[in-house]
Amino acid sequence: MIVAGSVLAIPRANIDTDQIIPARFLTRIDAAGMGEHLFDGMPGGPELLAANPGAAILVTGENFGCGSSREHAAWALKGRGIEAVIAPSFARIFLENAYTNAIVPVVVPPATAEALVHARHIAIDVEQETLRADGGDPIAFELDALRKRFILGGGYLAYLAAKVPAIRAWEAAR
Amino acid sequence: MPRSLFDKIWDAHVVEELPGGNALVFVDLIVAHEITTPPGALTIESDFGDALYDPRRIVALLDHVAPAKDSATALQAQTVRTWAKRQGVTFHDIGDNGICHVIVPERGNVTPGMTVCCGDSHTCTLGAFGAFALGIGTTAQTGAMLAGCLILQRPKVMRVEITGELAPDATAKDLALTVIANLTFRGGTGFVLEYTGSGVRALTMEQRMTLCNMAIETGATTGIIAADATTAAYLAATPLAPQHWVPERADDDARYDATVTIDASAVRPRISWGTNPGESAPANGIVPLDAPAASLEYMGLVPGQRIDGIAIDQAFIGSCTNARISDLRAAAEVFRGRRVSVPTIVTPGSQAVRRQAEREGLHDIFQDAGALWTHSSCGPCLGMSMGVLAPGMRCVSSSNRNFPGRMGDGGRVHLAAPVVVAASAILGRLATPADLAAEAVPA
Ligand code: SF4
Repeated sequence: MIVAGSVLAIPRANIDTDQIIPARFLTRIDAAGMGEHLFDGMPGGPELLAANPGAAILVTGENFGCGSSREHAAWALKGRGIEAVIAPSFARIFLENAYTNAIVPVVVPPATAEALVHARHIAIDVEQETLRADGGDPIAFELDALRKRFILGGGYLAYLAAKVPAIRAWEAAR
Repeated sequence: MPRSLFDKIWDAHVVEELPGGNALVFVDLIVAHEITTPPGALTIESDFGDALYDPRRIVALLDHVAPAKDSATALQAQTVRTWAKRQGVTFHDIGDNGICHVIVPERGNVTPGMTVCCGDSHTCTLGAFGAFALGIGTTAQTGAMLAGCLILQRPKVMRVEITGELAPDATAKDLALTVIANLTFRGGTGFVLEYTGSGVRALTMEQRMTLCNMAIETGATTGIIAADATTAAYLAATPLAPQHWVPERADDDARYDATVTIDASAVRPRISWGTNPGESAPANGIVPLDAPAASLEYMGLVPGQRIDGIAIDQAFIGSCTNARISDLRAAAEVFRGRRVSVPTIVTPGSQAVRRQAEREGLHDIFQDAGALWTHSSCGPCLGMSMGVLAPGMRCVSSSNRNFPGRMGDGGRVHLAAPVVVAASAILGRLATPADLAAEAVPA
């Protein structure tokens, strides 16, 4: 699976989920419609999006997705066409949400992230765990060996549902 | 191998080791609120035959916008309400409502050694009971409702040793802000914070909840405190009065992946000046000279500025950090016989807290001071319903997050203890109770 597209660069650390999608938009009972409010809580966010229409790869700073557990942050990114986020580090809950929503969370060293801010087009090979910026040499990164399958084929809930008999047996023997 | 408290709980709940360093971890209790639960409940209904793993392990409630503010939030509430009733899930409806991290422990649902999850990052609050309690996304919560388990990477464990004891004018909130300033806003990422030491043992359960509540603000998976006699006494007095739990604690020679030590006796009242909870300073100090420009631009502050002189537009006492009865009692002592000089909202953490406060006459003290005494809700904390800020408005708040836009688009938030919020409300500027004694009280 290749995830590729133009780059939206927001080289800031600590972009929290309130900035990604403010609480005032968390009023739906499904995941729909979040994309139109992406980065509405970030100073200058809507302007950045307007200047980079159609971007599919977000390159950003440390600790992306910190704060609230709201999966709406992943839904907003996905809903706006962001298929991968490249950062030096992610907050735990966002990282888990990225995998279950098939957003590729690419962790790279800070210097690499800084260099990628200037890339125009990035292509990510999910199986091979490599990325190429503007046709350059491949850069290796690592994905979670289990959760990678949720990017490639979805199915987080089906995976767990299949484990229910084993879980019930474990609980009975507890 | 000697084990930490966290290790013991983790080991007792791993159903299966999974590839990539993951584990299938059994969940004893799932807390389900109206913002993050509906999509999962509907998915289980449509795709998995509406079958929950075990409805008895779920507590559902309404807290973020309680009661609903419009038809959309009413539909969220109604979705959880009908689902909970259909499934036989315990449900705290309007009238019996409270913030999830307040009402669940107050009823006695959380016992030491448990695993708890909720689609809410401040679930770490419940670590105060010696439970492994963590926030997760909607899909993970849905998986736990469906299969009783989470898929988790085993976190590392950091011992946060709190030596000494808090001075009389310092609070658990000040300790929490000190821990975050010490570890930094992302320094706990990948860790569980295991709080130990005399400074923790001396805390009440409500203080421990305040401390654990803000573990997430270091990026940590959660915080945890071993149960002791204080825990046992608290649980015995809850409505459920749980009996069957084992007070696990770390082995004496347990090894930790990291250790930090914080002297509680040196903790001073603190106020945040920036745009994340790691950016705080002593209340009588200054905005740091090396403070990030972006934070100060958003907050409308300059380096070196005195914190305790900053004029405010609103004050808020509430949230899962600081809206329990002890928080309200402490704030009431500051308000007693004084008047607020800015709009001030006091929101109890649960309706049970509200009723207790009213039995003690605290509501009269707040209202005599000119504050608004509300029903229980997350309310102003997340800028979703009441008490929302306008751009540029500055609010001192007993909540836990001062992110840009958190309490309203362009709004500025200063985090502090309830007593500091109360003193600031009276003086119309950031201030501590000590400043009230020094300054003539406005009529
Ligand atoms: S009070 Fe605030 S931080 Fe706590 S659960 Fe509610 S919205 Fe979240």
